[in-house]
Amino acid sequence: MTYGAWICLLSPLVAAVLILLGGTKLTRRTAAWLATTSIFVAFGGAVWAFLDVRAQHVIQNASCIDFNAHCQAPGGITTAWTWLASGNFHVGLQLLIDPLSSLMMLIVSGVGALIVMYSIGYMDGDPEERRYFAYIAFFVFSMLMLVEGGNLLMLLVGWGLVGLSSYLLIGFWHERPSAVRAAKKAFVMNAFGDATMALALFVLIKHTHSVSFGALGAALSGTQANWIALGLLGGAVAKSAQIPLQTWLPDAMEGPTPVSALIHAATMVTAGVYLIARTHVIFEQARTIELIAAGTGALTLLVAGLIALVQTDIKRVIAYSTMSQIGYMFMGVGVGAYSSGMFHLMTHAFFKALLFMTAGLAIHALSGEQDIRNMRGLGKLMPFTKWCFLAGALALVGIPPFSGFFSKDPIIASAGALGTWYGWVFWLCGIAGAFLTGLYTFRLWFLVFPGEPSAFVLEHHHKQGRFGEGPWTMLVPVGVLAVLATFGGWLQFSPHWEPLTHWLQYVTPTLAVAEPSSTLELVTSVVTVLVGLAGITIAWAIYAEKRLEVPKLPSVQALLENKFYFDEIYDRIFYAPAVAIAGALRTEIEEPVILQGGTDLGQTTLDAGGVVRRIQTGVLRTYVFFLAAGAAVLVLAFLIAK
Amino acid sequence: MSGPGTSWYLALAAFLFGIGALGVLIRRNPLVVLLSLELMLNGGNLALIAFSRHFVNGDGQIFGLAVMAVAASEVCVGLGLVVAINRRKLALDVDRLSELRG
Repeated sequence: MTYGAWICLLSPLVAAVLILLGGTKLTRRTAAWLATTSIFVAFGGAVWAFLDVRAQHVIQNASCIDFNAHCQAPGGITTAWTWLASGNFHVGLQLLIDPLSSLMMLIVSGVGALIVMYSIGYMDGDPEERRYFAYIAFFVFSMLMLVEGGNLLMLLVGWGLVGLSSYLLIGFWHERPSAVRAAKKAFVMNAFGDATMALALFVLIKHTHSVSFGALGAALSGTQANWIALGLLGGAVAKSAQIPLQTWLPDAMEGPTPVSALIHAATMVTAGVYLIARTHVIFEQARTIELIAAGTGALTLLVAGLIALVQTDIKRVIAYSTMSQIGYMFMGVGVGAYSSGMFHLMTHAFFKALLFMTAGLAIHALSGEQDIRNMRGLGKLMPFTKWCFLAGALALVGIPPFSGFFSKDPIIASAGALGTWYGWVFWLCGIAGAFLTGLYTFRLWFLVFPGEPSAFVLEHHHKQGRFGEGPWTMLVPVGVLAVLATFGGWLQFSPHWEPLTHWLQYVTPTLAVAEPSSTLELVTSVVTVLVGLAGITIAWAIYAEKRLEVPKLPSVQALLENKFYFDEIYDRIFYAPAVAIAGALRTEIEEPVILQGGTDLGQTTLDAGGVVRRIQTGVLRTYVFFLAAGAAVLVLAFLIAK
Repeated sequence: MSGPGTSWYLALAAFLFGIGALGVLIRRNPLVVLLSLELMLNGGNLALIAFSRHFVNGDGQIFGLAVMAVAASEVCVGLGLVVAINRRKLALDVDRLSELRG
């Protein structure tokens, strides 16, 4: 069990270091395959760890029938060494391998490996391919560190490293000013989340003298639990791009497309969901904060869905759909349906990676064009891309039998199961979100794929690789993910077939209040699918048949195109005052005091030196005279004092 | 204890030191300056040894030996400098060797 986890964690790091040290001694191909292989090895390690946990899980199930809290979770903690010791406060370099982390390890390394393999074709010919592959291997390592971390401090280390490597990758094309700006923005917003998490840890350490996950279950007062949960939620919201810290995610599209796929599908944005599931004990003590998390998710899924309706950049549409889907996951883990949230995280990893990678194929074939208004009729030239994208889109909307159907509906049903007014508000948001998902996803689909190719497409399209749509390293991962996006949801069909919920029951048991009745599940599923289909139909009527006009609402459109003015508001509230204060400090403090002060000090010293240098005549006898005179004065002083 | 008292020796030492200091101050020939320096050192040595005898303690004499060794090496360097100056046909006048002024 422990070997698998360590292999899984360290193999991408080894690859990153090797590529870094190898430098130009490695060919580009070698670097690319080194990174890819290392992450496949990591996947192997994850499978190993998973199988070991599974063996324990089977034993556990036999001895522990009623799944109550006294059942020990399978898996365990492996400590390499004591990493930090201060008095009676010890933090080990620990990995935690349990059902939850082994599930995350499988998702991160599995989907990550496919994405890195895809980038071999995508990044082919980039002048800095080696740097890219070193970064991306490091990114996967950071995320594995985050999900395997055996205590909150190790988790925070992974958390920070993910922020760093996303900064490096979003700004990979550093000659583009917009990419550099986007990278900085992502880093600063994530740093905000890191800071609130660190504060939560300080509170926890103060009251329990420990950063282990077990310490979260310690007896804490309501206020303490609230503060800790709030700090952790701040970190989760920043990393998962939920309102109000969501603005970095669409800008992060400046990175190469596989990086977008990695950030959105396998790593990074799902970390917030994982964090809440992992620390659900504290969130259950601070139920209000947990419901705030659910509310944040509900709000984000609506806002992001609305913004996605008017975006014209293919990657940005998908980016907003990520925000929206993460909103669903937040809602799931927020109401207490942890396994549903994790299940949606998994299926989302499949179909979102698929959507980004098919979008990448389209962008590649059109030499970098990303505007969907120019892409009409691309499907005729790229049938494989078209069908794979359709699988991803149907999974995203949640049409049975595609995977999203199985994972999204239980979340909405769980929200409804709360039975309170906010439960029903969440439920309605979920349903409305499903409608928006159908609308924006199929707006994208009808604008890009069906119909006769437009003049722009015919002019710019060029065949890639032997199969016309790209090299095999790009097509194979897309194909694998299309299969997973289609069938991956069959892993669970609540309430009748729930292996994943059983797998996670020792770590993150679903709260009783969030357990929907069969009727509610059925009603929710039917309604969700129907509104999803309605969204698709309206998209078809507007964008394919042109029977309906888009209603002309200039103010609403402006509001959506400007993303609800979040960027502008933040500019006003934070950026502009900061710039003003910095400017004032520069003219009032830095230039007159600090800079001028240094010059003045130097000039004074020089002037004083100019006076004193006159004594230095260079004539030996003057020096001797001063020496003798000094000695004589000393002797006299001595005699007088006596 | 026979012979003159310690104060006589000290007076002689002070006298020697004074002559040496005066020589260093007023003479401009580096050779004579070096000679005067030796006089000063020997004045100091004499005082050391006088005190050593006065207190019946060998430390002062050992210290005197050390001073002699230092004086010898210092004269080596000094004479070497004098020879070097002479070879370069520079004036043997310490007042005119003042390139190190500030």
